[in-house]
Amino acid sequence: MRRGSLILLLVFVLVTFSFAERTLQIWAMGEEAKNLDVMAERFMKENPGVKVEIQAIPWSAAYDKILTGIAGMQLPDLAQMGTTWMAPFGAMGVFEELSPYMRDSFISKDIFFEGSWQTVELNGGVYGIPWYVDVRVMFYRTNVLKEVGYDHAPQTWEELYDAAKKLAARGENMYAVSLLYTGVFGNEFIPFVWQAGGRIFDERGEVRVTDPEFVEAIEYYARFFWEELAPIGGGNLFQDFASGAVPIFFSGPWMVSMIDQQTPEVKGKWSVALMPKKKTRSSFVGGCNWVIFNTSKNKDLAWRFIEFMTKPENQLEWYKIVASLPAVKSVWEYPELANNPIMKVFGEQLRDAKSPPNIPQWEEIANAISRRVEEAIYKKRTPQKAAEALKKDIEKIVR
Amino acid sequence: MKTNWVWILTFVGPALILLMVFLIIPIFASFYLSFTDFNVFAMTDWNRAKFVGLQNFAELFKDELFWRALVNTLYCLVVAMPVTVALSLTSAVLLNREQTKFKNFFKVSFFLPFVTNTVAIAVVWSWLLNPSYGLLNWFLSFFGVKGPNWLGDPKWAMPSVIMLVVWKAVGYNTILFLAGLQNIPDFLYEAAELDGASPWQRFWYITLPMLKPTTVFVTTMMIIGYLQLFEEPYMLTQGGPLNSTLSIVLYLYRQGFRFFKLGYASSIAVVLFSMIAALTLLRLKLAGQE
Repeated sequence: MRRGSLILLLVFVLVTFSFAERTLQIWAMGEEAKNLDVMAERFMKENPGVKVEIQAIPWSAAYDKILTGIAGMQLPDLAQMGTTWMAPFGAMGVFEELSPYMRDSFISKDIFFEGSWQTVELNGGVYGIPWYVDVRVMFYRTNVLKEVGYDHAPQTWEELYDAAKKLAARGENMYAVSLLYTGVFGNEFIPFVWQAGGRIFDERGEVRVTDPEFVEAIEYYARFFWEELAPIGGGNLFQDFASGAVPIFFSGPWMVSMIDQQTPEVKGKWSVALMPKKKTRSSFVGGCNWVIFNTSKNKDLAWRFIEFMTKPENQLEWYKIVASLPAVKSVWEYPELANNPIMKVFGEQLRDAKSPPNIPQWEEIANAISRRVEEAIYKKRTPQKAAEALKKDIEKIVR
Repeated sequence: MKTNWVWILTFVGPALILLMVFLIIPIFASFYLSFTDFNVFAMTDWNRAKFVGLQNFAELFKDELFWRALVNTLYCLVVAMPVTVALSLTSAVLLNREQTKFKNFFKVSFFLPFVTNTVAIAVVWSWLLNPSYGLLNWFLSFFGVKGPNWLGDPKWAMPSVIMLVVWKAVGYNTILFLAGLQNIPDFLYEAAELDGASPWQRFWYITLPMLKPTTVFVTTMMIIGYLQLFEEPYMLTQGGPLNSTLSIVLYLYRQGFRFFKLGYASSIAVVLFSMIAALTLLRLKLAGQE
């Protein structure tokens, strides 16, 4: 019995070897993993003798899977990597440095959005290539805002606050804007800091969270909770958006199709707009990059796959399949994207979008930011005092 | 008779090896880790972790959030334990009555929360507890009570978590108490009835003392389980608002698996382990003295 299965295994191995000399292993997550085989199929057609194996990992298990993969050095050639995971996993020293590959390739820093490229640079090296991007914009209910006299989306901080006041005055359990503050909300809050012209670190690595711009952002953010313009505690974003109880929120491109699916009744009654302006209209850019693990034996092949996925026509193809935003700038000139009013807003926002500092301690810093801003929201500290406490926290973390 | 080590090892060996690899060695490893500064940079190269002696513990006792987590966890234990015992004992006694109908139906419904996935439960509960359209506040409004913002108010978040914890634990403990009740011989009750003891006296002087072994077991397991509170706050509130539902294990998880400070996380684990061991021993000692 055992010998039989051994022989079977041997035959199986031989067969695989004879049909495809080389196998490229890829880890991918979520919706991407489900649809990636379409692209893999084409890649195999262009590269005879290559077999692409995609292992699909649900997002909820991905973090642990990569972590255990690193600890046990059982890694694929190539993987999809969330932008905020670049730094912690990069610090473990498992990503291949890619600048030598870029020397004679069409791939260069300039073809990507600046904010997206920030996420692949670690300690001066290039450890990934952007695949697709997410950027947060303002989602708002057009007809609800019209009721309070806004026939356009609030353009500035002042307008957003003014509109919020009027929206909340509609009655009990009526709010204006969802700021999604439960748990760790560093990524929701930080765009407001950028808009005010603030930052966490300056060029010399000094912590600058007690600057007036940062404090102003805390104050502006917290004020929505103090004056009950933003709901506190759990709620259902879709329900509240559809009923009009919370007609404004900030989120990414995945929400476009989700609103259509979850609450089709508001079709045509909502739209998207750029982030409100203080000094800038900066938003948060995320998404996914490609990384090659330095344990891989097929690095050249993995790079060829990255080049394949980065080609503008393939980026467009990928947009058509899962509707995620292309990281390559030139793709946005294709009519499929340029003539779509909603996509146009995303494209414009991408030009003013940043990513948080790419350091392994970011998660811990985001936690500290959430904690201190929350203290300001609940009036345990003034925004100034919260910022001072935050400065001490961050200095301790990066020490 | 000569002990045949070969056979003993053949049969016990596999289990022993599994136990060593997956339990004993990790326990000692984490004990050792608690004396190092093992962090993200040491993940792939263990040599980068330095031995730092008691520094992690010194830092831990100065850590405001750790104390917060400790207080929160004890709060949960002190409230949830008596409530769970009272509720599960009551339902066990009711289920044990001969007059009760649909016994199996009740047993199954009480037990269901225990076997249901906490993730699914937490989603449903966050709806139930919603301040503006949650079922619980809707129900309270019939009595003219304006329910609080359960998960958004730092004062009410922990009670909400405790409600969920208790609701999940009652079914399992009911079954344990029920088994204990069924072991009490009927003649004790018959004799007491003949002597004119009231139902309340029968409960107080027969049921409770005879249930002692079950009560000791149930409360001991509760000390161990509740001190490791994690899933409920993780799913429901992520420790918020204002860290009012941050539990020790949740804090450990954050430090170890989010910030990769495995050395520091291990020192939390060691402190938690000592606490559980101490409280469990105390409980067993009290039980022995009575």
